[in-house]
Amino acid sequence: MKKSSNENPLWRFITSIKLAVFLLITLAITSIVGTLIPQGESLQSYLEHYGPTLFKIIRALHLNDMYHSWWYVSILGFFTLNLICCSIKRLPFTLALYRKDNLNIDPDKLFRMPFKARWEISSGLDDAKKEAIVKAFSKNAGGITGKRSLSDGTLYLSEKGKWSHWGLYGLHASIIIILIGAIIGIFYGFKGQVMLMEGGITNQAIDPQTGKPIPLGFSLKCNSFNISFYDNGAPKEYRSDLTVIDQGKEVLHKAIRVNSPMSYKGITIYQAYYQAVPRVTLKITTSNGHQKTFSLPTFKKINWPEAALSFGVLQYLPNVHGVPAARVWIDNGAGPAQAIWILKNRAREIKMGPNFYKFLLIDAQERYMTGLQIKKDPGVWVVWLGCTSLIIGFIIVFWVPHRKMWLWIGKNDGKDIVVVSGQSSKNRIQFEKDFRRIKQVLEQHVGERL
Amino acid sequence: MILSSSYLLSLTTFIYLGAAALYLIHWIFRVKRVGALAFFVTIVGFIVQTLGLALRWRESYQLGYGHAPLSNFYESLVIFAWITILVYIYIEWKTKRRVIGAFATPFASLAMAYASFSPNVEDTIQPLIPALQSNWLLAHVVTCFLGYASFAVACGLGIMYLMRGTEKGSRNPLLMALPENKIIDDLMHQTMVFGFLWLSIGIITGSIWANSAWGTYWSWDPKETWSLITWFIYATALHARFVRGWRGNRIAYLSIFGFASVIFTYFGVNFLLSGLHSYGSQ
Ligand code: HEM
Repeated sequence: MKKSSNENPLWRFITSIKLAVFLLITLAITSIVGTLIPQGESLQSYLEHYGPTLFKIIRALHLNDMYHSWWYVSILGFFTLNLICCSIKRLPFTLALYRKDNLNIDPDKLFRMPFKARWEISSGLDDAKKEAIVKAFSKNAGGITGKRSLSDGTLYLSEKGKWSHWGLYGLHASIIIILIGAIIGIFYGFKGQVMLMEGGITNQAIDPQTGKPIPLGFSLKCNSFNISFYDNGAPKEYRSDLTVIDQGKEVLHKAIRVNSPMSYKGITIYQAYYQAVPRVTLKITTSNGHQKTFSLPTFKKINWPEAALSFGVLQYLPNVHGVPAARVWIDNGAGPAQAIWILKNRAREIKMGPNFYKFLLIDAQERYMTGLQIKKDPGVWVVWLGCTSLIIGFIIVFWVPHRKMWLWIGKNDGKDIVVVSGQSSKNRIQFEKDFRRIKQVLEQHVGERL
Repeated sequence: MILSSSYLLSLTTFIYLGAAALYLIHWIFRVKRVGALAFFVTIVGFIVQTLGLALRWRESYQLGYGHAPLSNFYESLVIFAWITILVYIYIEWKTKRRVIGAFATPFASLAMAYASFSPNVEDTIQPLIPALQSNWLLAHVVTCFLGYASFAVACGLGIMYLMRGTEKGSRNPLLMALPENKIIDDLMHQTMVFGFLWLSIGIITGSIWANSAWGTYWSWDPKETWSLITWFIYATALHARFVRGWRGNRIAYLSIFGFASVIFTYFGVNFLLSGLHSYGSQ
């Protein structure tokens, strides 16, 4: 590229490849920070872990979520700007290269090409011989793309891969396409989580960042959740059997697994995790004349106003001395709350204040709750498009040459001459081989060594 | 004798160590025959390793797991060595410069030795946990390691370039046996371009996989981020050629830096940082 001295210095700066190199290095170095400091934890945990001074720096520079911080996004933005301006600046050069009529060349210049050969035919060339030469050239150079008659001869051109100069634009544009895809995802997509008990149903997901509900526009029901293990105890499969219910109708029924999600109306549902949730059936008899059976999950506080009692299951163990056991927390307002272990089918009585309470663990079962990741991302296809064009662009830039070969059959000082020459924008070694072959073939036709 | 994959793969370790030693002898004492022998030994090692990998694949079916040998840290080291040798064989076949072997085969030998002898590396065949059960596993690992292996060779070439230095007057016969700077520079660039292409495809296939497993194609977890850092470094190296003054030496340093970043992406992230790709921490 030529440098014009009257160029605006700001424009020269923003379009310089030096800046690109600088920004690439900057991105590489700054990106390291976010891999050393864990991202997206609670602010409290940073304060505890790093102390007040470092915590201030972390807060000021948003190092707890640095890849979305104003300064990191600014570097990316600047990088994109650099890329766009650089492409704009190059555009006229590439256009000129693309538009250039390679037939419009002085035959004398052909001999200045990197690859060339020339024959003087003392015995002269008749039309049949000329035709044979042109045919041989065409066959070995991969077809003739242009022909121009001059006063003292004819010029033939075989040109391939002229479009490959656009590969660099495809490559650089693909970076921008990927960023556009990411931005579409940020603005028009969402990510949420759903926890569903077996048999449970919901029509909304929870935003993991804000904790706010996101309406799905349909209902999702978990029919069952299954987990299987290998012999060595490693998990083999998590599977949720789901049904989509849209406007009261069951429209889709599918089992999803990790790596095998399902989609409905642009929303994709992934198997993300699971939780075992024990459900405990508890019969309570009180000395003030109440009796009732409860079925409750762990960690749920139950109020039983008639008996003036609050209780909940703190812990569940499937096997204590061969039977299931639960640790129950009890509070009747008289004195401190208590926590006791109850084994299945073995009643246990405790006294709290004036009353006695008898607990019987009738049954306990592990049930599963499936954890689903819900995602809508209309930008993801744009990202894949960008990725594809990145790879194709890269291959074009490095491996698709723009190659030109000329054949000139004309006269010089009254003698018939044949000149062949060529040029390739890349992969000279292959081109050298090809050119050598053409030279040999033409030599046979010309019938003369050079 | 029962032919098992672990037997063949341990054997490979010794063959590669032998090949690396032969290449070094070939370079230091400049005996032509030794070079040819080194190449022969490398090819034998490659064949033995290929059989070992194929056998391991079969054994995993016999165990009822049935997956390509790419699922844990041990297997990834073996694949790294295998692909490095593959890339090197191609380069030697293309360039006929055996000295490069002294700078390339040690990477494969070290990876194999580490895989075979380190007590930290668990080498049993393990079943695939749900997250790894994907067709993208094969594509992702193979493409990433094609990139890593090319960068290993580029790093070897970078070291070679810096050793040779720029002064023409050097009479040190060891250094004179190395190809001229221009040739090393050119090869270094080509291997980096090749590696960059595969690293890009590796990052992309990884994103596609993450998207089908978790619904996020990019989550800035440390391994992803480090692969991107590596990618930035090599993008720098490709562009630096067009900045005036950034010639040979600096590109050689970048190829070494780049490979250091590869190593960190591969080992450091597993052992020092936490994230989704907890391959090595098992
Ligand atoms: C991470 C993003 C980028 C990637 C992956 C990338 C990739 C490439 C590749 C592979 C080449 C070909 C190099 C060669 O022919 O040896 C190239 C050339 C080039 N890049 Fe980039 N590039 C990126 C960012 C940028 C930016 C931000 C600029 C802005 C100035 C830029 C400007 C150029 C120019 C001007 C060339 C052509 C040099 C020439 O042939 O004269 N690139 N890029």
